[in-house]
Amino acid sequence: MEKNEEFTPRILAFLCNWCSYAGADLAGTSRLKYPASILPIRVMCSSRVDPIFVLRAYLGGIDGVLVAGCHPGDCHYQEGNYYTRRRFAMLKKVFEETGLESDRLLLSWVSASEGQKYAKVATEFTGKIKELGENSTKNKIFL
Amino acid sequence: MTKSLKINKSTEQGVLELLKYLLENKKVKAVFTLKKIEKKGAVAYSLIADVKDLQDAVPFYPLMPVNAGNLLSRFTLKGSPDELVAAVVKPCELRGFVELIKREQGSLENLLIISSTCGGVYPTKFGVDGTVEKNLSKYWDAVKKGEIPDGSRPTCRSCEEFAPYVADITVDMLGKNDLDKQCMMFLNTKKAEEIAKGFKGDFSDKQMDSKKLDKAREKRGIEKKKLFDEIDKKMNGIDGLIEIFGKCISCHGCSKVCPICYCVLCEFESSDSEYGPSNFETELRKRPGLRVPPGTLYFHLGRLTHISISCVACGACDDVCPSDIPVAMVFKKVSESVQKMFDYIPGKNVDEKIPLITFKKDEFKEFEG
Amino acid sequence: MSKLKGAIVAAKPSVEKTIIGMLEKSMKKGVFDAVIIPMRAPSGDSFAYVLVKDKSLLKDATPLPPTMFVQGAKAVSSVTRLGKGKIKIAAVMRPCEVRATVELAKLGQANLENMTIISMDCPGVLPSSDFLKYPEKNIKLFNEAAKKLDDKMMRPLCQICDKSSMVSGDLHIGTLGAKKDTFFLISNSTKGDDAANKLGINLKDNIDSWQTKVKTFSDEKKKKRKKAHKELKAKVGGIDNLVETFSHCINCHNCMRVCPVCICRLCYFDSDKVKHSAEDYLERAESKGSIRFLPDTTLFQMGRMMHMSISCVSCGACEDACSMSIPVGQIFSMIADETQALFDYVSGKNLDEPIPLVAYKEEELLEVEDSDD
Repeated sequence: MEKNEEFTPRILAFLCNWCSYAGADLAGTSRLKYPASILPIRVMCSSRVDPIFVLRAYLGGIDGVLVAGCHPGDCHYQEGNYYTRRRFAMLKKVFEETGLESDRLLLSWVSASEGQKYAKVATEFTGKIKELGENSTKNKIFL
Repeated sequence: MTKSLKINKSTEQGVLELLKYLLENKKVKAVFTLKKIEKKGAVAYSLIADVKDLQDAVPFYPLMPVNAGNLLSRFTLKGSPDELVAAVVKPCELRGFVELIKREQGSLENLLIISSTCGGVYPTKFGVDGTVEKNLSKYWDAVKKGEIPDGSRPTCRSCEEFAPYVADITVDMLGKNDLDKQCMMFLNTKKAEEIAKGFKGDFSDKQMDSKKLDKAREKRGIEKKKLFDEIDKKMNGIDGLIEIFGKCISCHGCSKVCPICYCVLCEFESSDSEYGPSNFETELRKRPGLRVPPGTLYFHLGRLTHISISCVACGACDDVCPSDIPVAMVFKKVSESVQKMFDYIPGKNVDEKIPLITFKKDEFKEFEG
Repeated sequence: MSKLKGAIVAAKPSVEKTIIGMLEKSMKKGVFDAVIIPMRAPSGDSFAYVLVKDKSLLKDATPLPPTMFVQGAKAVSSVTRLGKGKIKIAAVMRPCEVRATVELAKLGQANLENMTIISMDCPGVLPSSDFLKYPEKNIKLFNEAAKKLDDKMMRPLCQICDKSSMVSGDLHIGTLGAKKDTFFLISNSTKGDDAANKLGINLKDNIDSWQTKVKTFSDEKKKKRKKAHKELKAKVGGIDNLVETFSHCINCHNCMRVCPVCICRLCYFDSDKVKHSAEDYLERAESKGSIRFLPDTTLFQMGRMMHMSISCVSCGACEDACSMSIPVGQIFSMIADETQALFDYVSGKNLDEPIPLVAYKEEELLEVEDSDD
């Protein structure tokens, strides 16, 4: 793991259609500045995210994964994000226990009106990933 | 206050007597238990309808050729029996079955579950090469003292859940120093009390001695810490995982024998997980090379995320692995941490929902960014 | 048998290093974009097939590893099952793995259009459970045994294999009958010819000494094989012996899953067809007094045999993977010999030869029919 100033992280972001994706859109239309490291994937609800999506991306070499959804209590489907939170906690625990870098995973609640928050999360998370350096699974052969 | 039943015979004989009584008097239609099935003595689970065949039954043989949770699930998947069937299974097999029931893969209906405070089993390969037979008396000596039998499965040596939760009858075993003279059974449910009525034995209100179980648990806790420290050293990030699973041949045997892995078409064998030419070309743009068939670590880590919430640490995965990978200890360690997070003991309570399909409105704030 | 063409190649400092040198050169020249070849795993205690893009990895490759952890056909099939792709790939495997690959191509499970398959004379392979006991020591022992053609340590199936030099791919490395510090590079196809040409190798040498040695060796093995089958038949033949042989089977289905030619995504024996209600099982238990649970172990073994015997390449991957040490490989291989002989078929020998159970002649096998005449 090297601190590479030239290194542009690639961060996969699962954004729920009703809140986070809209929030990210708002950040864009408001011309807020945030790093170009985020690769968004729109899902209808954050609870659509199966831990193995994150695993596949991580083993594929992605430097960070962000899962963003509506604030608890505001899920468009009422309860989806409560399950997301539990599933994410379990996923992080599996990463911790097996020695994988659980800091490369982030769960955040971003509502449709929180363009500022999205830009902040994107910027801070990118900074954290830059510190962690490139994901070494990128080069591994015997995965 | 549960009732208890004492028989003045060896523990195994006492249980066989009860099973004989139940079959002869048509109180159960059949008995599901371990039995010597061939001349050379291979041991396998059997469904016994004729009382004559009980004579080859070895209900507490220290071998688990298959996790019986899988078998009970198959038995009841397409419909429960019309009449009562008695099943003698080990605590982790029972817990596996309960976790399967929560996933709609079976039912406890019309089953009389008999289990015991289990001393552990040997790896299945010792059943093939005759080691188990040679070590039987050493095994029972250890069990009588509540000690850990030499050479038993690592998951058994570190097991703290050796007392069954949802059994109708619990046979006193671990730490009982007069196993060869006396049989003590605890009748935990009304079903058990009803069915044992009329059987010739000493009924009383005697309760399980929890002190001897605590002592046994302590010993196994120490062994667990030792085994966990060993595997922890190996699980140090991606390189550690590549080393542990380096010799994996992707046979998926671990998944097939696991009671929790019940999916008929596993995600990791489906077309979802298959690489096409463009996937390979993408991978080769990133890496100097890629092991084929691809997805070895993806399978194991993925399986961990799918089943760690319910892993009962039986160790069947270890035994079936043709490459001697310590799968069971990896899964046990990670699963215990995941389960602790939700204060969940898999298989303890049939009515307790699996934590990932339920939630609290306020929790796990520490995981939110 | 197709007309084989060959060249005598100098093998300095060793056959292995020369093969690797040739592969490196061919990648440099763009003959191949990638190579599928065994490499030692980072843990040191196993070998795995790696799809190599960066030719600098090749110096650490092992063309003839002491174990066959994954049957090579599975590795090749995983790369091309969904299509041939754009890149040209060379795959280096043992003859039985090549034959399984050819069978898989016939079954639509591998696309060999952009593949050049390279095999070599095979000395056998160590059972993986034996190898795992002392990996370092066993690598040395294997290499020594391979040089002397000593097969005592190898898989039981390898010890009676009469097809260890069979050429069914594109190129073959012939070490039998070769003079010291040389080997024969043999081509079996236009793809093979092409590759040799591009490497500047002229396939005009006499390969008689290889062919003679191969025939002698194969004839010896055939005799050994016949004897072994006679003994095995006596041991496992008949319903009682069969049931006893499979009595330790726990239905883990490892054998099926590591078998290269068992391709069904959902095996019949894992499907709904073999799942019955409790009452059905109880009825069976009553009629016999007791039944093993789950029943039908012998049905699974014999059923799998019925399904794949026509394509079995006798590699022994099943036996290596069996968690209960049942000699499945030897039994299945013995029966496969007979079912294939019925149709004069050798599985995987020739890509153009259809699998006999999906082909027919209008008049044949009259001896099997019930005749009124």
